[in-house]
Amino acid sequence: MGRYHRPLALADALATLAGGPATVVAGGTDVFPARLGRPFAEDVLDITGITALKGIGLDGGWLRIGALATWSELAQAPLPPWLDGIRRAAREVGGVQIQNAGTVVGNLCNASPAADGVPSLLALDAEVELASSAGLRRIPVAEFVLGNRRTARRPEELATALLIPEPGPGARSSFEKLGARRYLVISIAMAAAVLEPAADGTVGRIRVAVGACGPVARRLPALEAALRGLPLGPDLAGTVTPAHLDGLSPIDDVRGTAEYRREAALVLVRRAIRTLTEQA
Amino acid sequence: MSGTLNRREVLSGSVLGVAAAGLGGAALGAAGPDAVAATPAAAAQGSPARAEIVLRVNGRDRLLAIDPRTTLLDALREHMALTGSKKGCDHGQCGACTVHVDGRRVLSCLTLAVAVQGKAVTTIEGLSAGDRLHPMQQAFIAHDAFQCGYCTPGQIMSAVACVHEGHAGSPAEIREYMSGNLCRCAAYPNIVAAIEDARNQMERS
Repeated sequence: MGRYHRPLALADALATLAGGPATVVAGGTDVFPARLGRPFAEDVLDITGITALKGIGLDGGWLRIGALATWSELAQAPLPPWLDGIRRAAREVGGVQIQNAGTVVGNLCNASPAADGVPSLLALDAEVELASSAGLRRIPVAEFVLGNRRTARRPEELATALLIPEPGPGARSSFEKLGARRYLVISIAMAAAVLEPAADGTVGRIRVAVGACGPVARRLPALEAALRGLPLGPDLAGTVTPAHLDGLSPIDDVRGTAEYRREAALVLVRRAIRTLTEQA
Repeated sequence: MSGTLNRREVLSGSVLGVAAAGLGGAALGAAGPDAVAATPAAAAQGSPARAEIVLRVNGRDRLLAIDPRTTLLDALREHMALTGSKKGCDHGQCGACTVHVDGRRVLSCLTLAVAVQGKAVTTIEGLSAGDRLHPMQQAFIAHDAFQCGYCTPGQIMSAVACVHEGHAGSPAEIREYMSGNLCRCAAYPNIVAAIEDARNQMERS
């Protein structure tokens, strides 16, 4: 049986991690179900007492999502429209009880291929802030998630926040999720998109990511390049072709076949882009 | 943080005192200043350390000596004899264990009891005013919003929070925001009707 730590100061948490590995617990919505009926053998670091890790706020061109910020807080915070996509995702993570406890940063660190927050974070060019006794570092989400349940977080590090750069004027975002039923369901496939329109009514920059179609969610650079400069209108979504999704590597599992996922991802990407054009 | 006991004192002071009594000085040194559970050596000896915590449940402070890894659900059911909160799945999928912590609905099976010290926990047992049922409880009876009743305490706790959150404006909204509570008897239509009814009464009062 391991030890249970619940420090109130970040420095104490980092000192604990410097002393040896520990399972970090915030909302607990992934940690507890993963060990049903099996007690913690390892040390546990409960970070819920660390006030400095709370909160969501815009500061100096970046949105900061603290490690203790829950999905409910993200859904309810007064935030600009370019965060509509990830806020849509916030309402699709389990039910409200899960959203009240589960954290955005925890969803990322758990590194499930079906993590509902990750496609939006990729499309938003989000970065992860990692703290250790040695100091802070920041790395893009795209470099943070390495594989199924694997991240670039070192054992002595704590993910303290997500940082999202404010996009250009008029930016907007969308999110689409497919599950076996409407709510309270693990994703079969997801798509997230962020658009920065150009002044002439065409696509300036667009970033599109797909989740649950491979060990990690990923961006679709070929599609992003193909859409740039096209008119922002009802025909834009139809220009997405199956070839644009070639980078995906979906698998067969209990929730769906690889072939079904590929088809679903195409439909979801088109829907996500249609939502962006309809918001204009 | 509120109440008479400071959490840090509970976690590192008095609890380590308890742990030290069972473990001896050497183990205490190994545990560090903010650790409350036992060392592996203690587990091998069959004397797991207990955390002494104060929980405010339904307006009453209760002192418990529990394994620090005890979930709030087990603390309520096994240590306080409050068996209204049900253990359906024990891993966050069914909602039968829903309670309020500082007014927000959470799943007590995914919450450690030690993590809610200093917060106000409300369970189904704390919802009525004496013998007078909460409007939501009354509405569930009036609308026959259950069959076997196992999910009902969680449904009612979730429904009260749903109304307080302002997420009970329409049947569709109620269905979305009650999606964390499963009813295998499928009493959903009556649950939605009960919530709409109770919402109207709660808004009037």
